[in-house]
Amino acid sequence: MKKILALMMAMVLVFGVAACGGGSAPAPAAPAAPAEQPAESAPAEPAAPVASDKDESDWEIVVVPKDASNPWFVRMDVGVKEYAQKTGLNIYQRGTADIDATLQAQLIQDLIASGVDAICVVPVDPGSLEPVLKQARDAGIIVIAHEGASLVNVDYNIEAFSNDQYGAFIMDNLAEAMGEEGVYTTMVAHVTNASHNEWADGGVAHQKVAYPNMTLLEAEPRVESEDNGDIAYNTALELFKKYPDLKGIMGTSSFDAPGVARAIEELGLTGKAFTSGTGLPADNAALLRSGAVQSLTLWDPALAGQAMAALAVHMLRGLPVTDHLDLGVEGYTDLVFKPGSTTVLEGQGWIVINAENVDSFGF
Amino acid sequence: MDQEAFPGGIHFAQKGSDTVMAQSLLKAVDVKKSFAGVNALKGINLEIYPGEIHCLAGENGCGKSTLIKVISGVYTPTSGHIEMGGKSYNKITPIEAIMNGVQVIYQDFSIFPNLSVMENLAFNSELADKRKLVNKKRMRQIAQDAIAKINFDVDLDEKVGALSVANKQLVAICRALMFNAKLIIMDEPTTALTRKEVNALFQIILDLKAQGIAILFVSHKLDEVFEISERFTIMRSGELVATGNTAELDDKKFTYYMTGREIEDLTFTPENVSEEPVLEVQNLKLDGYFDNINFSLKRGEILSITGLLGSGRTELALTLFGMRKADGGTIRIDGKDVILNAPDKAIENGIGYVPEDRLTEGLFLPRSIGDNAVIAEIDKLAGKLGLLADKTRRDEGERLIRRLSVATPDANNACNTLSGGNQQRVVLAKWLAIDLKVLILNGPTVGVDIGSKRDIHEILHNLAKEGLGIIIISDDLPEILANSSDILIMRGGEITASLKPSETNVAELSGYMM
Amino acid sequence: MLVKKLMRQNETYIFFVIVLLAFVIQARSGQFFTPNNIVDLASALVVPGLMAIGAFMVIISGGIDVSFPALASLSIYITTSTLLDMNYQGGMLLPIVMVCVLGALFGAVNGFLIAQFNLPPLIVTLGMSSVFRGFMQGALNSRQLATIPEGMSSFGTSALFVAQNRTSGLSSRMPVSFLILIVVLIIIFFVLKYTMFGRGLYAIGGNETSARRAGFNVWKIKFLLYVIVGVIASLAGLIRVCMMTQCHPTNMLGMEMMIIAGVVLGGTAITGGTGSLTGCMFGTILIVMVQNSLILMGIPTFWQGVFLGMLIIIGTGISAYQVVRANDPARKNLGRARL
Repeated sequence: MKKILALMMAMVLVFGVAACGGGSAPAPAAPAAPAEQPAESAPAEPAAPVASDKDESDWEIVVVPKDASNPWFVRMDVGVKEYAQKTGLNIYQRGTADIDATLQAQLIQDLIASGVDAICVVPVDPGSLEPVLKQARDAGIIVIAHEGASLVNVDYNIEAFSNDQYGAFIMDNLAEAMGEEGVYTTMVAHVTNASHNEWADGGVAHQKVAYPNMTLLEAEPRVESEDNGDIAYNTALELFKKYPDLKGIMGTSSFDAPGVARAIEELGLTGKAFTSGTGLPADNAALLRSGAVQSLTLWDPALAGQAMAALAVHMLRGLPVTDHLDLGVEGYTDLVFKPGSTTVLEGQGWIVINAENVDSFGF
Repeated sequence: MDQEAFPGGIHFAQKGSDTVMAQSLLKAVDVKKSFAGVNALKGINLEIYPGEIHCLAGENGCGKSTLIKVISGVYTPTSGHIEMGGKSYNKITPIEAIMNGVQVIYQDFSIFPNLSVMENLAFNSELADKRKLVNKKRMRQIAQDAIAKINFDVDLDEKVGALSVANKQLVAICRALMFNAKLIIMDEPTTALTRKEVNALFQIILDLKAQGIAILFVSHKLDEVFEISERFTIMRSGELVATGNTAELDDKKFTYYMTGREIEDLTFTPENVSEEPVLEVQNLKLDGYFDNINFSLKRGEILSITGLLGSGRTELALTLFGMRKADGGTIRIDGKDVILNAPDKAIENGIGYVPEDRLTEGLFLPRSIGDNAVIAEIDKLAGKLGLLADKTRRDEGERLIRRLSVATPDANNACNTLSGGNQQRVVLAKWLAIDLKVLILNGPTVGVDIGSKRDIHEILHNLAKEGLGIIIISDDLPEILANSSDILIMRGGEITASLKPSETNVAELSGYMM
Repeated sequence: MLVKKLMRQNETYIFFVIVLLAFVIQARSGQFFTPNNIVDLASALVVPGLMAIGAFMVIISGGIDVSFPALASLSIYITTSTLLDMNYQGGMLLPIVMVCVLGALFGAVNGFLIAQFNLPPLIVTLGMSSVFRGFMQGALNSRQLATIPEGMSSFGTSALFVAQNRTSGLSSRMPVSFLILIVVLIIIFFVLKYTMFGRGLYAIGGNETSARRAGFNVWKIKFLLYVIVGVIASLAGLIRVCMMTQCHPTNMLGMEMMIIAGVVLGGTAITGGTGSLTGCMFGTILIVMVQNSLILMGIPTFWQGVFLGMLIIIGTGISAYQVVRANDPARKNLGRARL
């Protein structure tokens, strides 16, 4: 009896605490890769452009991030606020306390009930959000998404860039550091990760065209960091030991370049070997300042937020959405449809982070 | 579980000891113990005198273990008291019991198989002294002293797990002796011992007696009770049914006290024996285990195969059931050569096997009794698509269980709710379900109490009369003598003798075995 | 005699495997027996080595702990973020004391649940692993801490000595934290061999009921065990954070599988009671060597998981086979026949 009671107690304890803790999925150390999945399922036919009959000052445009406190979305809020000030429209960001798909769906339902005109959302879990977004669209609300390329019930989804173009951009940064010559290899979290490998493929393809003096390390063209800085570090140690000619490693996951940089520093290769890749400014400020890494690449959530809001305004004004759309937001001045998709728009919203600008982002 | 003792061994006991039993060492007065309303002990009065060998007997579940636990302080009695060392205790702690010289040697010996003999022996006293650090030198001395008490010759650095069962038991005895023991309780100490080891154990018990130590010897084996004890106590369903001098006890009374019913001896007389042998074995050989095995078995006969552990008897049984592939020789069923390289081949040829350890080998214990009973004929019950109708399965299970009168209220109960004897019956039920020619039983009554033992023998006799050929692998020599038509004795992988039970006796059989 | 004794021990075989593997790596890369590679391996051994010591003690007692990476993550996250908030400028003493206290505290929760209620350790630690992680991510809102207090990062990057490879010019630091591994190893070696607590772990692993009957305070031993394991794991976590000069709350999670595999590979019986600290270290060294030499051996990325998995199956399979052989009736009979 005592045993059963104790067991139940322990179970309640475990589940209770796990439930209140587990509610919030791990905070993303790095932003989710944009356009993880191509929108293969037939997207809803985009609504024909119809201008809102309300006065512009009555419009209510809400940006719903994954949560309110993550620095990434705090940064997005900065952009949204700035855009609202610039346009003088009623545009604001509202997020849940935790990253939780259910809470996010509830928030959107509340917004539908209160009769907003446009919802711009960064979905926690795209699949589970579909029914709510359908409700929103049925209620005549414009739905714009970011990092939700697989969504069907949206008007449009904006991605900061196309995967191969972003890969080419990382390659440009690496090539610059390497002096456009020497042997390099690519690192991804896992060889099964779709977006990382598309970035890496895009980078390699770009190198072949643009940097003929660089060569991909044939024996190990792609290594894994398992999204773990320590593994990136140990893998880099091994690579530099085994291949003395190796001069650069192109990282993709946000753990890659920092981990590799640590290895470069420790092996005494600073200035002789180089790395570049995705990285968050705050995490890598020290590395950038010390010169172990010349530059990292990223997209700016502030600009992504602005782009979503701008597209909502554009649609509320009844203007058509076509290829080469200019939203007047940096990096989103030439949006094009992802090949084969009628809802996913891709910009050129990548940015470079280096020793000079690393402190200006706030995340 | 392999060696049961047999009468006719050396009788050490000085029956009817003439020592004056003045002061009792331990006295339990009207001890009752109930668990959640179930009365496990219903008012037990037990007295143990210094230096006596007292046997506590009773069938499984009679309350023996509960009584031991009350005496050693593991359980607190619900009412009654225990007198020890001139004091009366309503409640006794394990420590107080040890202080009063009570030591229990449990069936599992309470040893650490992964540690050395030295540590096994020295831990108790080191812990009693509240030592925090290990002093190898002192521990070795403690261990040395402990084994010297019974002249036990063993490597102190050997891991206990590597010792033989008998030596493990000696380690446990040495450990018990370290604490100025006055009473050593041995819980079924002969269970896993060979006859030779049992003799050695009895010698040690006598030595301990000579030192004035009383032994409470728990057993349900009749011959042991007669052989070693001076006084006895028999329990049944939580009550003390008899106590007295062993000299005044005989087989009949013992059985009656144990079971509560008169059980007459059964002797097997073959009837309906077929002309042609159902099973013939010629020059059968399994490398490393046995060689040159020849015998034949007719329908209606019971053939017993005996021998010491390691004589190859178990491997022979397994080979006949296809669990091991013979390296040579022929097996003929109804005159036809068969190759038995897997159990399903054996079953196809009408051979069934009831394993040695019914608890671990023969049954799916958590599954229902009914399911276990039908498992051997599961293919037959299945429909065209190989699917099994639930009702068919249940009906068949019920039928088999009734046929063998398994004592259960419901065939859907899990098998592990049954007593040992009834589990054995379920195993038998399993095989009666299929069309059998030969049934092999390995140690069919090991661990089974007297009442069930007789029932199982009766079932076997009836099965033989119905035309089954039966092979019993057993080292329970009285059992073999009473229940077979022929006896084969194996030693070192060869058949050393083939005898008729009417022409031999226990002493002759054991002579061939050693 | 000595040779014969050695040949019977599992440790000897693993040692041979390690030597063999070293020569294979050397043959394939020419880089194994270089000063900086050896130092790299030693450096990579520190954290798994410490964790393996803890896992080993638990397994010896017949238990299992799968929560130590989460436990370590939590205590190190609290320590680092608190010190950052305090703007801590001091040395390593305070961080070490803090993680040890926190580790002991969290370990005590494990120990209490297991000792008091006699719950299966796997269930408790599996549950507590979720709790630790959930608490860190939910209640503490954990995120990557890109900077750590100066004292910690300088400890992490300070070197006992620097090994230089003359041909390639590559250098490697032998981290000061390697000394911590050595010290903990020596202490635990002593504890396991020469204290009644240590022998009690073996006794409980061999037969818990017997241990209780013999007079071991099983409750106290189990409780203390999980406290110690919590401390060791947290210490390992601290070293990891110092060496990486940043605190990532989740990147130790999942390490438990490789650690436990290493311990079992070293000949520790997963059922408890049997195994040596030497074997445990050898097993861990083998795992660390393989993990950090796959590229040197030229095994393609795609095959690395397969290779590692095979090693574990074969390694643990061999010890399992030895158990089966030890229980083989034929061999047993030989023993009995002499009676």
